[in-house]
Amino acid sequence: MDLILPYIATLAIFFFVYNILTWGLNIQFGYAGVLDFTFITFVACGAYFSGVFALGPGQKSTGFEWILGLSWPFPIALVMGALAAGLLGIVIGLIAVNRLRSDYMAIVTLATGTVIYGLVSNYTPLFDGFDGLAGLQTPFSQWLNINYNQFTYLWVGFCAVVMVICWFIAQRILNSPLGRTMRAIREDQEAAEAFGKDSFRVRLIAMSMGAVLAGVGGALLMGFIGAFNPAGWTSGETFVVWAALIVGGRGNNWGGVVGSFVVAVLVNEATRYIPPIPGNATLIPTVRNMLIGASLIAVLWLRPEGIIPEARRRFYQLPLLPGRRTPAEGMGSAGS
Amino acid sequence: MPGADAFLRVEHLSHSFGGFKAVDDCTFEIARGSISALIGPNGAGKSTAVGLIAGALKVQSGRVFFDGQEVTRLPAYKMARRGLLRTYQVSREFPLLTVMENLLVPPPDQRGESLLNALFRPSVGRRQDAALASRAVDVLETYGLLPLRDEYAGNLSGGEKRLLELARAEMANPKFMLLDEPMAGINPALIARLDGHIRRLRDQSGITFLLVEHNLDVVERICDQVVVMASGRTLAEGSMAELRQNPEVVRAYLGGGLDERAVG
Ligand SMILES: Nc1ncnc2c1ncn2[C@@H]1O[C@H](COP(=O)(O)OP(=O)(O)OP(=O)(O)O)[C@@H](O)[C@H]1O
Ligand SMILES: [Mg+2]
Repeated sequence: MDLILPYIATLAIFFFVYNILTWGLNIQFGYAGVLDFTFITFVACGAYFSGVFALGPGQKSTGFEWILGLSWPFPIALVMGALAAGLLGIVIGLIAVNRLRSDYMAIVTLATGTVIYGLVSNYTPLFDGFDGLAGLQTPFSQWLNINYNQFTYLWVGFCAVVMVICWFIAQRILNSPLGRTMRAIREDQEAAEAFGKDSFRVRLIAMSMGAVLAGVGGALLMGFIGAFNPAGWTSGETFVVWAALIVGGRGNNWGGVVGSFVVAVLVNEATRYIPPIPGNATLIPTVRNMLIGASLIAVLWLRPEGIIPEARRRFYQLPLLPGRRTPAEGMGSAGS
Repeated sequence: MPGADAFLRVEHLSHSFGGFKAVDDCTFEIARGSISALIGPNGAGKSTAVGLIAGALKVQSGRVFFDGQEVTRLPAYKMARRGLLRTYQVSREFPLLTVMENLLVPPPDQRGESLLNALFRPSVGRRQDAALASRAVDVLETYGLLPLRDEYAGNLSGGEKRLLELARAEMANPKFMLLDEPMAGINPALIARLDGHIRRLRDQSGITFLLVEHNLDVVERICDQVVVMASGRTLAEGSMAELRQNPEVVRAYLGGGLDERAVG
C-alpha cells in the first residue's frame, strides 16, 4: 500500500500532463493542420519560465544562474509559464506559418526549435545551460506542512483541476465557429482564403493556444519534479506527443486522452519492468521508443484516423428523410 | 472605354509560368449587374485570369479594379471580404467537414471566430450559428442537397460537389461571383435549374456574375456579355450573336479544336 499508492499517483500525474500536451498539439495540428515539429520547445518554455518565476534568484558565484528568480507562488508562476509559451508560439508561428508555403512548416518549426535548443543549453545566464534549473521548493509548501507523498497526492488533484480547465479551453475552441474555420483551413487553406478567412491569423491563434497548453503541461512537470534541463526536452519528446495524438485520434480530444494513456502510461510503464542489463543502460529507453514507433505504425496501417476518429458533427438535427436521395430527385427532376 | 458602372476591370494583365505566358496583355470589363461569360479554348488562360483577379495568384503586370477601387495584388481573403467570391474549376470542398459545416464556413463576419468569444462567450457563436444553419437549410433545399447535409463533403459525387460549391458561394453573400466552369459535370436537367438560380441571384440580390463556361447553350441563354480569350489575350467582346459573326472567334474557338499553342 505504501508503495502502490504513490506509484499510481505518479502515473496519474504523467497521464494528466500528457492529456494536456496532446490536446495542445491537437489544437495546432488536429484542428488547424499546423505541422509543429518542435512542440516540446513550448513545453520547455512553460517549464523554464514557471521555474524562474517560482525559484529564488540565481547566483553566478554558486554556479546556479538564471534570469528573474522572483520567488512567486507556483500557481502564478504556472500562468506566467503558460503565457511565455503562448508568446513563443506566436513568434515561431510568425516564422513558420507562412501563408504560401505551408509545406515548409514542418521543417521551419524543427529548425527554429533546434536554434532555441542550442541557445538555451549553451547560454548559461538564461536557464543555467546544460545543468538547467534545480532546487525548486515543493509548491504549496510555504502554506502547508506536508511530506513528499502527501505532496504527490495534492499534485494529482492540482493537475486534475488544471487539466479540466485545459479540457474546456480545447473543447470550446473546437466547438466554436473558430474551430470550424480552423478545420476548414486544415482541409483546404486556399479554399478557406477564398471565403475571406485569414488563414495566417487563424493558424497563429492555433499555434499560440496549443503552445499555451504545452506551457501549462511543462509547468506542471516543473512543479512536480522541481528541476528541468535540456536532457528533458530533446526532439524525441516531440515524437512521443505526436505518437500519442496520432494513435489516439486527431481532431477530437477524447482521442488525445486514449493516445496519452496508451503511449505515455502503458508503453512507458510496460518498459519499466525490463530487467536492467549490465553495461547497456540505454536499452530501456530504446525499447520504449521502439514500442511507441511500432504502435504508431500499427495504427497508421490498421486505423489511420486513430483509435477514436474525429466525430462527425451533426449540427442541424432534422428528422432524417428516408433513404439517401440524389440531388436530382431533390430538385424534382431526374435524368436528362 | 472604362465605363462608370464597370464592376470589374482588368487592364493589360499578364502572367507567365516560368517563361510561358499563360495570360498575355488581357483587358476587359464587366458591367455591374450583368451575367457575363469568359470563354475560350482549353489552355487559353481563363483559369489563370480568374486566379489573378481573385488574388490567389500574384499579378506580375497589369492592373485590376474591383467595385471602383484598385485591387491589384490584394490577397485572396481580402478580395473575398470585399465581396468577390470565386469558385474553382475543380471542386474544393472541405472533405472532412459535413455538407452542413461546409455551408457554415463561408458567411462573413462570424463573431464566434474571435478567440475571446470562442473561449468566454460560446453562446455568441452558437446563436449566430443557429441563424446561419436555418438559412443553410433553405439553401441546401434549393440545390437539392438537404438529404446529404450530414454527409462528409468528401463522400459526395462529382456533380453533388459542384452543387455544394454553388450552395457555399450563395452562403457567402458576395457582390460578385467569379465561377470557373460551375456547370461542368452536372446533368442537363439540373443545368437548366441552375440557370434559373443564377438569374434569381442577379435579380433578387443584385449579384454580378462572371462565368468561365464551355457550354455555349448556357452562355447563350443567360449571359448578357461574353469575353473571348485565346492564347492569353482577349480576342473579342460582345453578345453571343455578335461573336458568331466574328471570323476570328469562330476560327479560334467556335469552330472547334484546341488552342494551337496549348497543344503545340
Ligand atoms: N501553375 C502552372 N504552371 C505552369 N503552367 C501553368 C500553370 N497553370 C496554368 N498553366 C498553363 O497556362 C495555360 C493556361 O492555363 P489555364 O488553366 O488558365 O487555361 P484555361 O483557359 O482555364 O483552360 P481550360 O478551359 O482547359 O480550363 C495552360 O497552357 C497551362 O498549361
Ligand atoms: Mg480553366
